[in-house]
Amino acid sequence: MRKVALVGAGVSKFGVRKASYRDLIWEAGKACFDAVPAVKPKDVEGLVVGSVMPERTAFQSHISSMAAEALGIRPSALSARTEHMCASGTVGIRYAYAFIAAGLADLVMVLGVEKLNQPSGDEAILNMGTGVDREWEASFGLTAPPCFALAAQRHIAEYGTTEEQLAMVGVKNHTHASKNPNAHFQRGATLEQVLGSRMISSPLRLFMCSPITDGAAAVLVASEERARALTDTPVWIRGTGQALDGFQLTSLHENYAHWPALSRAAQAAYGMAGVRPQDVDVAEVHDCFAIAELIAYEELGFCEKGEAGAFVAAGRSDYGGDVVVNSRGGLMGCGHPLGATGVAQAAEVFAQLRGEAGARQVDDAAIGLTHNNSGMGEHVVMIYGRESR
Amino acid sequence: MSYFRATDPFPLESAEHTKLHEFYARLAAGRLATTRCAACKRLAWPPRAFCGECASDRFDWVDLSGEGTIHAFTIQEVGLPSGFAGPRVFAIVKIDGLRVFSILVDAEPAKVAIGQAVRLSPLRVADDPSGNARWLPAFRPA
Repeated sequence: MRKVALVGAGVSKFGVRKASYRDLIWEAGKACFDAVPAVKPKDVEGLVVGSVMPERTAFQSHISSMAAEALGIRPSALSARTEHMCASGTVGIRYAYAFIAAGLADLVMVLGVEKLNQPSGDEAILNMGTGVDREWEASFGLTAPPCFALAAQRHIAEYGTTEEQLAMVGVKNHTHASKNPNAHFQRGATLEQVLGSRMISSPLRLFMCSPITDGAAAVLVASEERARALTDTPVWIRGTGQALDGFQLTSLHENYAHWPALSRAAQAAYGMAGVRPQDVDVAEVHDCFAIAELIAYEELGFCEKGEAGAFVAAGRSDYGGDVVVNSRGGLMGCGHPLGATGVAQAAEVFAQLRGEAGARQVDDAAIGLTHNNSGMGEHVVMIYGRESR
Repeated sequence: MSYFRATDPFPLESAEHTKLHEFYARLAAGRLATTRCAACKRLAWPPRAFCGECASDRFDWVDLSGEGTIHAFTIQEVGLPSGFAGPRVFAIVKIDGLRVFSILVDAEPAKVAIGQAVRLSPLRVADDPSGNARWLPAFRPA
């Protein structure tokens, strides 16, 4: 297989945006093309768009062609949309990676976009129920928060994880987001604020949850030859893995604090990349809820099972610790525009590994990881390197 | 044209819409049922018309006891979808060795506990677009 690298990235402002679905596509596309002046839209051979529910929000399907036209891209090698709920963006990057590695394309844009806050606020939450099983789960009013609350309760019961430790994830990520001008929230948060925020689904409080956010992000993915022609500092895709435990809550591991699919996805990615968990300098993990970040530390191998609460409390996932987790502010601080999230994670790792992350820069970051999940039962892991293998 | 909203959160349960109609017919009669694969005899939850183990599409309906215990639960206070109100008790109920996702109705949230005995309490929800009654398999404290 050929080597594959990121050569450019751009992110729109995330938030409750006064912008249309197409406006967001334009903003992320503009930011990405601006980052690679040598590339014009006509040079891009393929486009993959990660987007979950434009049919319900923008009342639009046929998404990849719509976005290609909006950006002036005329795909000749690949045009596709990926819908994989919250992991749609990273799944899109995997498609681009595979096509380029196989020699079927040399330069592909992956764009993630979601306009969740329309047509109305109450519909926005109802729409989120499309991500769980309609017949057996969403018909009861289930959306994501109670699912992850079940995991949090189990982790608390089994390992003595505390509400303060859950809150520390919120404090860390909101603090990181305060240094990210594209983040939904930029005011930071104190432990008191997080613990005093209203209860959403016990034990998860508002500041332990990601919000409903509009936004878009784009990356340019290239073959080795094209990458070296475009930049002196490509960021290499070193490994990737994806694994499924199940879709319905009752198909997952009986103990919701255990996410075996994440461990399997991580092992696949580490093995392919030839790196170990302790080699990772910067990690963007899927903190849709605070408990998700804690369980991710364990399943990704940053700490032992059950030790995630102590890991965050000791600052080991923050600047100066073992690995800086969610330097851009994570889903909690940046917001979670579903399809855009995985691409925005890649954009952050791209900036970190090139030393271009500004106030958020992690010293001498050489290996980066992204973790994107679709519910608790399905996980995607990417590993990036400053050096090709 | 005024703003039209099409948001039906409930399944289409009638025989012309689903192979699982029998589940809902029994539920309306107060019975909790599921499918057993006719080929490999695997008991499923939720019911299914295709066996993911042996790829058979032949199945039989079997009644479950309708009485179980709470394996896990959470209480959602706010942020529920339009049409659903908090506090709402979501629970995983263990019945006959199966794990069933549902809600607990007529329960005092503060008194819900893991291991608590619960029983089936079919919940009538909005009729389907043709006016047929629809039911969901909810539970209540035993």
